[in-house]
Amino acid sequence: MSATAGLAALAALAAAALAAERHLTVAVLALLLLAVCARAPRWPVYVAGALIPAGFLLLVSPVVGNVGYDELWQGPRVPVLGELDVTSEELELAALQALRLAAVGLAFAAYAVLLDHDRLVQAARFARRSVLAVALATRLVPTLERDARGYAEALRGRGVYVDGVRGRATLLAPLAAGALERALNLAEAMEARGYGGAQPTRLPRTPWTPRDRALVGAAAGLTILAFLWL
Amino acid sequence: MAVARAERLTFAYPGALRPSLCDVSLTIEAGERVLLLGPSGSGKSTLLRAFAGLVPHFHGGRFAGRVEVGGLDTRTSRPAALAGTVATVFQNPEEQVVMTRVAAEVAFGLENLGVEPSSIAARAREALAAVGAQDLAERRTFELSAGELQRVCLASALALEPSVLLLDEPTSQLDPAAADAFLERACGGRAAVVLAEQRAELPLDLCDRVVFLEAGRIVLDAPRDEALAWLGAERSSWLSATNSVAAGAFEHERGALVCRATRVSLAFGERLAVDRADLELRRGEVVALTGPNGSGKTTLAKLAAGLLEPDAGEIVRTGRVSYLAQDPGRYVVCERADQEVALGVDGDLDRARAALAAVGLAGFEDRHPRDLSTGERERLALAAVLVTAPDVLILDEPTRGVDPVRKEQLAALIRGGRARRATLVVTHDRLFAEHVADRELSFHDGALVPGHRRGTRSLAMDG
Repeated sequence: MSATAGLAALAALAAAALAAERHLTVAVLALLLLAVCARAPRWPVYVAGALIPAGFLLLVSPVVGNVGYDELWQGPRVPVLGELDVTSEELELAALQALRLAAVGLAFAAYAVLLDHDRLVQAARFARRSVLAVALATRLVPTLERDARGYAEALRGRGVYVDGVRGRATLLAPLAAGALERALNLAEAMEARGYGGAQPTRLPRTPWTPRDRALVGAAAGLTILAFLWL
Repeated sequence: MAVARAERLTFAYPGALRPSLCDVSLTIEAGERVLLLGPSGSGKSTLLRAFAGLVPHFHGGRFAGRVEVGGLDTRTSRPAALAGTVATVFQNPEEQVVMTRVAAEVAFGLENLGVEPSSIAARAREALAAVGAQDLAERRTFELSAGELQRVCLASALALEPSVLLLDEPTSQLDPAAADAFLERACGGRAAVVLAEQRAELPLDLCDRVVFLEAGRIVLDAPRDEALAWLGAERSSWLSATNSVAAGAFEHERGALVCRATRVSLAFGERLAVDRADLELRRGEVVALTGPNGSGKTTLAKLAAGLLEPDAGEIVRTGRVSYLAQDPGRYVVCERADQEVALGVDGDLDRARAALAAVGLAGFEDRHPRDLSTGERERLALAAVLVTAPDVLILDEPTRGVDPVRKEQLAALIRGGRARRATLVVTHDRLFAEHVADRELSFHDGALVPGHRRGTRSLAMDG
């Protein structure tokens, strides 16, 4: 399957999840994307990265929202946020938004770990530098994950255990600084290999197969369907 | 005919107190193989970057003198304009890979140079074949071993068909056989080669000329044979690293058993990394674990350190185990060097400062770990594990990128403290292993076999 067709399919699924109004429809789309992600190695890490923000949204949104009359729980009044409560309408809305966020996150996870980014860069007809920058930024996701494991292992090697949210938070600053250092080294290597030269060429694109065309057609159809009826 | 020339080059990085290169003049003739030697921080990498045009264009700084490559003045020609005439392979292959697949990675430079699209794939294939990596063409770059990735980086450079090939410590992560093969391939073409190295014994046979740098100045520029005589007389550690460790230093008592691994196995997916290996470490001894890249050395070391759990077999440890990871860049979690070292001892800054002093980093306490040079980071990482006063000390490739003088100091440090602990040194540096270890274990065809062993005075009972 061509990477461009795969990207179109993932984008269509994410767009359909954002456009659809029914919980069941969005849940089915999210499950479909979850099944796609499960084909990747180390997929639980990426799925967790997609689902944790959705879970957070599901928990926080009803409490701070102010929609509906069917009150299920009444909490204290807090400064700035006002009176905290949870209504059945807020729960329904939060569930829909969380499902949408999960679907978009899973679509990104599938894009990050399953698609061949080289082929996407190769297929870009315009703004190739921007496409390359996006591909490199996407590759940073697994790199950061590898770096985080490396830092945690080096700490364990001297008897320091990284546990819990607070422990993991201590790794954020070195991860960010390491990413910047890595980016500088990569930029230097790219410049040494002629990046930014006057008249670059590119490898010939891989032609699309009938299956790729069918996939892109189905993706377009799904998007239209979601906007009109789902 | 000269293909590259530096004339009275002086260069200082932005904010640096002293220049990295001082009044350097050097001419590289077509097809010549020049070996650049010198301690860490002597200016070898900076000189290579000057020939690639990255100094001053990428790094900025104060630049005086003149550098010409292929007739182009590097002050007026950007690195992209020099690419093709000159190609560079950097020390860390992971940080120079742009694309996800090997074939696309090799093609990247050719696309940038504007090579005819229909011939890009063929040239990429030829370059991969030249380094024996044609089978890797469709592999993902992040799945490759360090040795495979470094060959891909060499193929990416050779594909550009440069007149000058610049190699910045390209073999630091490779075992001797892989390093030999790499250097033979790199030096096998028509391009002039300028190679910066810390392990002089490997490339000395291949080079025509040796340039020795110290504190940014050339102190020797001579043909190979003349340079060998000079190195023997003036800088002998570069010909035989760690030769200053006295033979008597190996007389030792083998103490109590502190770590025993019995028939341990571990697989990563389909790949069996360690297969029924046995390992015993006793207090007072230094054991070297050697073997080619990918043979399972690091996996066994991590199993012994408790960082990995075996699929089968048993590991028994007594007391505290500390493990020094290969990459010193993993020891940069805190904002200050002393705080970084103190992490392993519950924030005890006095112990941390003493450990820093023991590795020669007194006065660096308030420096940010990221502001340290590569060699200084290596020593900071060593201090971070030594401070824990472990019963078992495991050092994974501690000589990577370390110059011979520092290697001697490291060997002395390991030998000096050996009575307090058992030490396992994972290394592909055979010379270092022979000089620092009481006995050697080596991976051959997946099996762990005993290597050299030095005399011991007595054997203690099992602890």
